[in-house]
Amino acid sequence: MIPIDIRPDKLAQEMLDYSRKLGQGMENLLNAQTIDTGVSPKHAVYSEDKLVLYRYDTPEGATAEPVPLLIVYALVNRPYMTDIQEDRSTIKGLLATGQDVYLIDWGYPDQADRAITLDDYINGYLDRCVDHILDAHGIEKINLLGICQGGAFGLMYTAMHQDKVKNLVTMVTPVDFKTPDNLLSAWVQNVDIDLAVDTMGNIPGELLNWTFLSLKPFSLTGQKYVNMVDLLDDPDKVKNFLRMEKWIFDSPDQAGETFRQFIKDFYQRNGFINGGVMLGGQAVDLKRITCPVLNIYAMQDHLVPPDASKALKDLTESQDYTELAFPGGHIGIYVSGKAQKEVTPAIGKWLNEHSV
Amino acid sequence: MAEEGFFDDSWLDLQRKYWETWSQMSRQAMGLEGDEGKLTNPWESAVDNWWKALSPAVSDSSRTFMDKLMEQGKVFFRFGEAFATGARDDAYASDGMAFWTQALEDIRQRFSGSLDGGDNVMQQIMSFWEMPLDNWQRMMSSMSPMPGDALRNMPHEHLNRVLSAPGLGYTREEQSQYQELIRAAIDYQQALQEYSGFYARLGVKSVERMGSYIQGVIDSGKSIDSARSLYDHWVMSCEAVYAEEVATPEYAKIHGHLVNAQMALKRRMAVMVDENLGALNMPSRSELRTLQDRLQETRRENKQLRHTLQALEKQVAALAATVPTTLPPTIKAAAPSAKAQVRKKAAAKTTRTD
Repeated sequence: MIPIDIRPDKLAQEMLDYSRKLGQGMENLLNAQTIDTGVSPKHAVYSEDKLVLYRYDTPEGATAEPVPLLIVYALVNRPYMTDIQEDRSTIKGLLATGQDVYLIDWGYPDQADRAITLDDYINGYLDRCVDHILDAHGIEKINLLGICQGGAFGLMYTAMHQDKVKNLVTMVTPVDFKTPDNLLSAWVQNVDIDLAVDTMGNIPGELLNWTFLSLKPFSLTGQKYVNMVDLLDDPDKVKNFLRMEKWIFDSPDQAGETFRQFIKDFYQRNGFINGGVMLGGQAVDLKRITCPVLNIYAMQDHLVPPDASKALKDLTESQDYTELAFPGGHIGIYVSGKAQKEVTPAIGKWLNEHSV
Repeated sequence: MAEEGFFDDSWLDLQRKYWETWSQMSRQAMGLEGDEGKLTNPWESAVDNWWKALSPAVSDSSRTFMDKLMEQGKVFFRFGEAFATGARDDAYASDGMAFWTQALEDIRQRFSGSLDGGDNVMQQIMSFWEMPLDNWQRMMSSMSPMPGDALRNMPHEHLNRVLSAPGLGYTREEQSQYQELIRAAIDYQQALQEYSGFYARLGVKSVERMGSYIQGVIDSGKSIDSARSLYDHWVMSCEAVYAEEVATPEYAKIHGHLVNAQMALKRRMAVMVDENLGALNMPSRSELRTLQDRLQETRRENKQLRHTLQALEKQVAALAATVPTTLPPTIKAAAPSAKAQVRKKAAAKTTRTD
């Protein structure tokens, strides 16, 4: 038996099939002129500089829970990932469980925003969004859901403003930034962050994209497009794929000073574990977190390994700490069909039980 | 329907004819028939022409997407074509493992510099491992006025001679700046060479890994019978080797050196651009940054003050709401002070005057 036995006629057939699918896909691509993202109805309730705070409309006939939920997304990539399409929407799922959902869109920083610091984000923008919601509802505490880097923001915020947070949910959030399987962390140890920020001002989104794609370069920049050809004859799948492509490459630049502190304090000094993180002259101490915490991580996460998230368990003073492990990856935890069935309802249930 | 709309039959016919001829040639190469020869795959040029005609009608995002589909399609088929039974005219074609072993040896020799040129198969394998490097070059191009590979083959010898000359006279400082710029450029080029060298070594390891996989196929008595399967396993082998190697401290150093060297080079360029802007009496980047810092500090203070003011206003309003509209009974019952009595009388007088 010849181990590589690709007959010319079979190879020719493969090539013809590939060509045919490209042709069929072309029609679907022409029909997919605009790629819509963010499907649930929402309206802006507060804005400041480039930030916009949105409130999602409560579905008709539903009654919203009295404690609103604020979603804090990462500065990297765009928050519409949480509401990317009709049947794959974390936000839609949360609305279905009765949550009154707010979301911060941080916008696209430009060079004028270079000097915005981590303190400005946490104790400035985020705190003012929380205050706005508290005032609007006439309440004293909200629920907070932080995603990825937004989860780290949520931890810092809760540690500094515990009096305003009733429950904290963290999703795929890095806490221990130096677990052995954290490639991003390993790569950044020898990078001179001061030099990079002093040189570039803001850190370009392209540089971040390159870094993320470098985690699996052959699969993410090559093989997935070959695989995609098989799906090209299905207009819906083409649109779904294009939505994800749009999101993956829709990477805002990072405000230089914030990037400097975040990478140095967390990726290089592992600040949640070793301490030493200061915001506005005050130390960030996770021991000040006393509210219930739901920590959700993805078991096949190549960006935030499970151990990086699970480290939170012993770092807070919360007497009500729950972990939820999702059998999937960093992105699948919002967009996979399984996540819609397992993760989102679990968050809603947990929040409803803890918001009484 | 789609075929009629977007594929004209002549293109598909051309491919069919090509493959018929190609199959014929392969049989000839295997000694089954007479003459043999080399053909150039028209699929790539045909697909390129087809796409050029249609792409203007497609949105930007879709165009980028289709570009990638076709680019990867080419990689995938070049790879399959190179390994197809009868495609090669050497004795190894009939034995995949022997062929793969030979391929591995060729790659080793190529990297050791003892094999010039190389055949088509080697190029397919090697070019695949340029993908991460290509990603870096593209990313750098998008962030720079210079092409990403502008410094890739910069000659060292002449530059080193330039750098060894001391700056003299009135333009000494300017010379010094150029020397620093060139030093930074050389350092970046070296970092880039380290980076690409690292990937070249991984290429050899991937071939070895693929060899192990093929050995497994032989042991199981099965065979790889499609270009797609071969391509997928090649990707898997490359990704597995890559994941192991980029987790090492050695790679972290190479990666750090590449990014730092690129930043240092850009920094030198920025310094020189700033100098020129200053000479033109225009605001420089460093001046703008100073202003940005000061402005952000002022805005931060303003926002904090406004926040504090609003909090105080709320407190005042809350206090005002708690102040009783009528005096407590104990105060009412108390005897009026002498001053109050005087005021009362005065008010009474006024009222009367009116």
